Amino acid sequence: MPTAIVTQSNGRLVHVRLVSEDTTDTTMPVEAINETTVLEDGVTSGEPTPAAQSGEATPEQLRSATGEVEATVKAAPNPIAPTPKEALWSAGSFIVLFVILRYFLFPKLKKGMDARYADIRSDIEGADTVKADAQSAVADYEKALAAIRVEASGRIDAARQTVDTERNAQLTQVNARIAAARAEADQQTAAARAAAQGQVAAAVAQVATMAAQLASGRAPDAAVVQAAVTAAMESAGSR
Amino acid sequence: MIALDFPEINSILVWKDIFPNFPFNKVALIAVLATLISSTIFLLAVRQSHKEAPKGIRNFAEMIVEFVEDGIVMQTMGKDGLAWTPFLLTMFLFIYLCNVPGIIPFFQMPATARMAVPMFLALMVWVIYNVTGIKHQGVGGYLKSTLFPPGVPKALYILVTPIEFISAIIVRPFSLAVRLFANMMAGHILLVTFALLSEALFQAKDKVLIPVGILPFFMLVFLTSFEVLVAFLQAYIFAMLTAVYIGGATHPEH
Amino acid sequence: MEAIARLVAAEATPAELKNNAAAASAGYAYGLAAIGPGIGIGYLVGKSVEAMARQPEAAGMVRTTMFLGIAFTEALALIGFVVFILLKFA
Repeated sequence: MPTAIVTQSNGRLVHVRLVSEDTTDTTMPVEAINETTVLEDGVTSGEPTPAAQSGEATPEQLRSATGEVEATVKAAPNPIAPTPKEALWSAGSFIVLFVILRYFLFPKLKKGMDARYADIRSDIEGADTVKADAQSAVADYEKALAAIRVEASGRIDAARQTVDTERNAQLTQVNARIAAARAEADQQTAAARAAAQGQVAAAVAQVATMAAQLASGRAPDAAVVQAAVTAAMESAGSR
Repeated sequence: MIALDFPEINSILVWKDIFPNFPFNKVALIAVLATLISSTIFLLAVRQSHKEAPKGIRNFAEMIVEFVEDGIVMQTMGKDGLAWTPFLLTMFLFIYLCNVPGIIPFFQMPATARMAVPMFLALMVWVIYNVTGIKHQGVGGYLKSTLFPPGVPKALYILVTPIEFISAIIVRPFSLAVRLFANMMAGHILLVTFALLSEALFQAKDKVLIPVGILPFFMLVFLTSFEVLVAFLQAYIFAMLTAVYIGGATHPEH
Repeated sequence: MEAIARLVAAEATPAELKNNAAAASAGYAYGLAAIGPGIGIGYLVGKSVEAMARQPEAAGMVRTTMFLGIAFTEALALIGFVVFILLKFA
C-alpha cells in the first residue's frame, strides 16, 4: 500500500508525494529539485534556494538522497539545449577527422585501391592476351596437324596405289603363267586323249574287223569299220 | 504496489566534467574517441601493403569506403559526387562512432543524444549545401532553382515559393538534427527505463516480483540489439540525406 | 488515489498546476504525433516490400528510397518526441 506524504506550510498544502512502503525517501518539495542550482564542476551555487532556506533540504542532502551518480543538475535543466562545450569539442573532433581523412589517409588508401584495381585490370588484360596467344597457337598447331594429316593420307593413298598396281601386274603375270600352264596341260590332255582315242579306235576297228572276218569270212571294208567305230564311240561318249 | 523512481532526466543526459575546471565531459570524450578510432583504423589500413588482396584492417577500411561510395554517393549523386566521398565518409564514421557508445558498457551514452553534436553537423551540412549550390549555379540561379521549381504553373508560385523556402532553409537542417538527436535520445531513455525497471524488479521486497524482472530484462536485451541497428541506420541516413541535399544543390532538376 | 489527485488539483500551487498540465499534455503530444507517422511508415514499407517482391532486381534502389522516405516520415514522430521532452522537462 502506498503512503501519502503531505507537506504543509502555513496551513497550505505544498507537496503531496506517494511512496511505496519500502522507500526510505524523505519528503522533498518539487520546487527544491526544480530550483536547486548545482554548478557543473560540482560546486553548489552560493545562494541556497528559498526552499532550501526553509530547511527542507540542502542541495547536498538532495543529491545524496536521490543517489545521483555523476549527474549534474543544471540551473535551467533543459535536456535538449545544446551545450557550447560539447558543440565545440565535437566540431573540433569532426574537423580534425575530416582534415586527416581528406588530405592524408583517404587519398593514400584510394590510391592504393585504384593501383590494385588497375593491376588487376592489367592482369586480366594480360591474361586475355596470353589466352588469345594460346588460342592462336592451338589454331596453328591444328592447321599444321590437318596439313600433315592430308599429306599423310595422300602418301598412304599413293603407296596403296603403287602396291595395288604392282599386285595387279604380278597378278596378271601369274594369271598369264597359270593360263599358259593350263593351256599346255589342256593341250597335252587333249593330245593324250586323242592318242588314246585313236589307239582305242584302232583296237576296236581291229577287233571289229576280226570279228566280222570270223563271222562272214571276208574282211570288211576298212572305211566302213572305221565309220562304225567312230559312230559307236561317239554315241558311247555322248551317253 | 511498487513505483519506479525514474531519475531526474538530466542525470542520464548531462555529464559532469571529467577533470575539474576543464570543460571536457563524457560527450566530448566520445567525440574525441570517434576521431581517434577512425583515424587509427585508416592509418593502420594505409600502412598495409596495397599490392596483394586486402586482409584484416585494410579490408575493413576498404569495405567502409566502398560502402560509402556505392551505398551513399553512387545512389544519390552519381559519378560526379565521388569527390564528396571523403566528406561523407567522415560524416558516416563520426556519427556512427558517436552513436555506438550508447550500447557500450561504461559509456552507455550516445554522444549524438546531446543536441550539440547533431546541431553542429546539421548546421555544417546546411552551410555546405547552400554554398555548393551558390558556387555551381550562382546566387540568382540557386535561388531560382530552389524557390521557383520548374514545371509549376505560374499562379501556384505564391503557394510553392514560401513552402520551398521554409523547407530548404529551415526544415531541412532542423529535421536533420532532430532526427538524429531524437532517435538516439529516445533509444537512450528506453534503455535506461528498462534497465531501471528490471533492476527494481530484481531487488523487489516482494519475492513474487523477482521472476517478473526477467521480462523487462529481455526487453532490454532486445532493445540493445535494436540500438545497434539504429546507430548504423541513423549514421547511414544522415550521410545519405547530406548527399541528397548536396546533390540537389549541385544539379537542379530541370 | 483519485481523491488525492483531486486534492492536489484543488490545493495545488499554480506552478504545480502548470507542471501537471505540462506532463499530461506531453503524453498527449507524443501519443498524437505517433499516429500519423505510424500509419505512414507502415504504408511506405508495405508498398516497398510489394515493389521489391514484384521486381527483385530493383530491390537495392527501392530499399534506398524506402530508407529516405522512412527518414522523412519518422521526423514527424520525432518532433513530437522532442515536444514531449520540452513540455515535460523544460
